[in-house]
Amino acid sequence: MADPANDFIRDYQTLAQQSWDAWARQFQQPVANPFAPPPAPAAGNDTLERTLAGLKGYFDWLQAAAAGSSAPSSGNDWRQQLQQMFGGASQPFAQAFGGIDGAGAEGFMRQWQAWLQAARQGGFGNLPDAPTPAFGLNREQQMQQQALATALMASMQATARYQELIQRANAQGMQRLQDKLAEPGRQIDSLKGLYDLWVDAAEEAYAEIALSDEFREVYGEMVNAQMHARQQQQQQTEQICQQLGMPTRSEVSSLGERLQALRREFRASRAGISADQADEIVALRRELAALKRQLASASAAAPASKKATAEKVPKLVRKPVAASRSGASPRKRK
Amino acid sequence: MQMPIRIDPTRALADIATFQRKLAAGMANLRHMREPEYANTPRELVYSEDKLKVWHFTGHGKATAKTPLLIVYALVNTVWMTDLQADRSMVRNLLEQGEDVYLIDWGYPDGADRWLTLDDYINGYLDRCVDAVRARHDLDAINLLGICQGGAFSLCYTALHPDKVKNLITMVTPVDFHTPDNMLSHWCRRMDVDLFVDTMGNIPAGLMNYVYLTLKPLRLNQQKYIGMVDILDNPAELENFLRMERWIFDSPDQAGEAFRQFIKDFYQGNKLVKGTLEIGGKPVDLGLITQPVLNIFAEQDHLVPPDASRALGKHVGTTDYTQLAFKGGHIGIYVSGRAQREVPPAIHQWLRQRD
Repeated sequence: MADPANDFIRDYQTLAQQSWDAWARQFQQPVANPFAPPPAPAAGNDTLERTLAGLKGYFDWLQAAAAGSSAPSSGNDWRQQLQQMFGGASQPFAQAFGGIDGAGAEGFMRQWQAWLQAARQGGFGNLPDAPTPAFGLNREQQMQQQALATALMASMQATARYQELIQRANAQGMQRLQDKLAEPGRQIDSLKGLYDLWVDAAEEAYAEIALSDEFREVYGEMVNAQMHARQQQQQQTEQICQQLGMPTRSEVSSLGERLQALRREFRASRAGISADQADEIVALRRELAALKRQLASASAAAPASKKATAEKVPKLVRKPVAASRSGASPRKRK
Repeated sequence: MQMPIRIDPTRALADIATFQRKLAAGMANLRHMREPEYANTPRELVYSEDKLKVWHFTGHGKATAKTPLLIVYALVNTVWMTDLQADRSMVRNLLEQGEDVYLIDWGYPDGADRWLTLDDYINGYLDRCVDAVRARHDLDAINLLGICQGGAFSLCYTALHPDKVKNLITMVTPVDFHTPDNMLSHWCRRMDVDLFVDTMGNIPAGLMNYVYLTLKPLRLNQQKYIGMVDILDNPAELENFLRMERWIFDSPDQAGEAFRQFIKDFYQGNKLVKGTLEIGGKPVDLGLITQPVLNIFAEQDHLVPPDASRALGKHVGTTDYTQLAFKGGHIGIYVSGRAQREVPPAIHQWLRQRD
């Protein structure tokens, strides 16, 4: 039997989806003429991508939620209605997490998958699923491949444990949302209002889990496992570079370390010399001042015995540097 | 029980239509918006070394303060949060109050900076910047304003070089890194930092930003951009939004060694308050900071919890300690309207009483 109200909603959703796609496509159109001068730099494409990703999640949810809000609920079971609104493929929580894989954090899993693919094409052969005894000419290479495969597996498992916690935060966020909605006098009459309340609830639940001991362990394990896998990958890359006669990352890094150490020594040495010189100047000034005072007092006391007085003036001696150094700033200040 | 959700389907569809209409109407604004500029308050370069620059802000009139103020920003993010836009510039407001303002711009580290240590930053770069400003004014000591991680650096520096700092101001500065609400500290406690830095070298800015976004994933990655749709038809507000986006994501990488030490000694070891921190082999004792200290923190700071900053009062050696709680967040303390009215005047007043 025809249902005009639901048909209308379906039609509208189709139309809305089409307009969204058209809107998004405008940002993705390739430059028609590859020789044309590049367009003026627009404000951060990165911003645009993030914006689009975030808005797309929200838009998907709006559509699903609108359908959910129009669906007749059995009795007053608003909780079931809520589950319909926040469940399924349009789940905005997962989208929010999925959208923050920026260049720096570029989904580690995607990187590994790309690496595995490249490694196979580049002659590494298929990585074994489980370590097997290695021998023969390619023993070392095989061992390294096995180590990489093991590290990748461990990384994937650690990431899966992390994602379980994220899902738990999501589920607890839903529970919190229900609790908030059940508060006396609470009334939500717009999708945006519902969304904002859900964000409050989900962030609270996430923060609680993110500050738990379990999260700390899982997070650390995930980071460490990813780094271990990345390190294995780097070792293999270095070997390829060595075979091709290219400088490796560790060689460049080692040079940088030595250079920085030299710079540090040079600066310390120069600062030491400078401080020594400053100390010497201060010492000399003091001696000069003492000489002047002695000369002045001597000439005032006995003008006739100039020669004798002059002989008593101490010699201008450069003090040994180490003895004259002091921690205080030697400069005379205003 | 009353139904808490009463969304009229017709209204829901109208909301979606409105959302789309705003998007469509604002699209042209977004597409043609150029990279927003920062405030670019007039300044002159007075010292540079490697990628570092020390800027002296010239302002419109002559400074009335006798002692110059050197701003020490964090290594994460760029220093231009302090001079974001003309009507939201802490630097500009400090100049208008009569302060003589200098700023260290750390620059963008690359592979050549991979081995810079905290000793290089604090006893090297920072010390030479302080010396450059002292020499320009022929003064024994100047005022320091350390922000966030730059505040932690300033505390270390003041403890190690007390003769060169007259007054110390710390803003949103973490001191106790083990308060229970410090999410960043919590997350990195089980990290193998040696493995991390040995593998990554310098720490990419994108990775740092990723971590910051995951502190509040829904608000920072989705809800914020939904809010942006409401301002797409307002070029001025959109420009402000995009300028902030530029600042957030145009961030420097972190020099590997300095990052390793900072995470190990500050975040994991909490050595600053334990009194076991050493920079360049010299112990850092906060109790040796006897000059006046003004500690400003934000009450809604999700990056540096207020208690992490408040801890300074218990550990610093001075008898002239002032604490200022700002009603806002980690970023709002520089750029909100309230911040413009409250923070620079408070800093100036406090300094003037000790100038």
